[in-house]
Amino acid sequence: MTSKYKLLFAAMALVISGSAVAGDTVTIATDATFPPFESVDANGKLVGYDIELAEAVCKEAKLDCNIIGAAWEGMIPGLISKKYDALISQLTVTDARRKAMAFSEVYELPTFRFVARKGTNLTITPDGLKGKTIAVQTGTPMDAYVTKNFPGSTIKRYAGGSEPYLELAAGRADVHLSYEAQILYSFLRKDEGKNFELVGPRLTGKDAPEFGEGVAIAINKSNKALVERIDEGLKAVRDSGQLDKLDAKYFGPQE
Amino acid sequence: MSWDVIADNFARFLDGAQLTLLLTVIALGIAFTLSIVLALLRDSPRWWLRHMIGAYTLVFRGTPLLIQLFLIYYGLAQFEMLRQSFVWPWLSSPLICVLIAFVLNTTAYTTEIFAGGLRHLPPGEIEAARAYGMSPWTQARRILLPAMLTRSLSLYGNETIMMLHATSLASTVTLMEITGVARNITLNYYIQFEPYVTAGALYLLLTFVLVGAFRFAEWRWAAYLQPRRG
Repeated sequence: MTSKYKLLFAAMALVISGSAVAGDTVTIATDATFPPFESVDANGKLVGYDIELAEAVCKEAKLDCNIIGAAWEGMIPGLISKKYDALISQLTVTDARRKAMAFSEVYELPTFRFVARKGTNLTITPDGLKGKTIAVQTGTPMDAYVTKNFPGSTIKRYAGGSEPYLELAAGRADVHLSYEAQILYSFLRKDEGKNFELVGPRLTGKDAPEFGEGVAIAINKSNKALVERIDEGLKAVRDSGQLDKLDAKYFGPQE
Repeated sequence: MSWDVIADNFARFLDGAQLTLLLTVIALGIAFTLSIVLALLRDSPRWWLRHMIGAYTLVFRGTPLLIQLFLIYYGLAQFEMLRQSFVWPWLSSPLICVLIAFVLNTTAYTTEIFAGGLRHLPPGEIEAARAYGMSPWTQARRILLPAMLTRSLSLYGNETIMMLHATSLASTVTLMEITGVARNITLNYYIQFEPYVTAGALYLLLTFVLVGAFRFAEWRWAAYLQPRRG
């Protein structure tokens, strides 16, 4: 065999074996349409809470990580087909997802809220939203929750995390359900969000199984070694107070 | 393989196919009428009319349909003035926006196809029509239109198939046509292969119907253009 072919076969072997841990680059994907957790800044750089957390975890776990932006719809398929080794994108842990992927320890317990135009006086109940339009990102816990609990409403599903806000501002949707922190620390702080407010109850995983057990890093199911390494890294980040610092940086002092 | 998921959700696929068909038929129906008018005026002796139609087909054939759809659906919604106006109840509907985008796009292509068919008309036929003293209207009805439509039939058939497949973009603005249903299933059940294969099979089936219809039309109306057999 000539050396040219040897090189080719070596490269193929590397691709086929894929996603090892030690020494290799770990590819982590994120859907960067979800500020303040993950978004792209004016320079095209990924920024946000999840990005900083992933960098800290990789540093503690001594992993060489490459965090890349991916479309929400292609992210989970990409993880399953091993295009990515892990995902950090405010992914909530649910039973359905556990069947398809592995998760790290939970690093955050999110609260979910509706957001609507100020003074609309909507009652956030299946009856109160009957005939109203609810915007959600497709295939998210919020989508599953409204699909199950608000059968009388029109549900509009969007590929990205930012389109529902455009639609809310344009008046095409009456309410949008998302992470409270996202609404509060991103949309409501922008100019387009100044006429909007949080409405309805604060929902968590305790209120509905669709909201899951909390937010974690998703890892390919077959890569047990990476789950362990990421959990170690996460523990170190938590124990050293870096996680609290990150919370304070993004969401102010904890109440 | 989890084909049971497809079986459980098959009714949604059928709803999706219904919407796909509706979008295709309405878009093609409106575009057909518009294209005939525009194709007849495409080579009008009035230069400004000729150039205006040329500019329109250039812009809509020169930009991706997805960009056109996003500009109409999201782009126009940005203007407060428009949101307050009487057109907003129309423009706020994704169905209307999608149809506007599809009609504008496929009309641009179809206009050029029809105008091309017209250019292949032997000048003798028009001269003969004039010699018979036909008015421009009669000329258009008896000579130009039949010649234009029969000569561009196979190209136009292609365009309708492209339009059918382009309706898959409607799911990007929340309409649950075949592709939208398939996508939604991939996101909720974490399977990829089965829903997309099902969607592909449905498109193939619809394409067969279109191809069959055009075969029939060519046999029925355009046979005179073919060399005689036997």
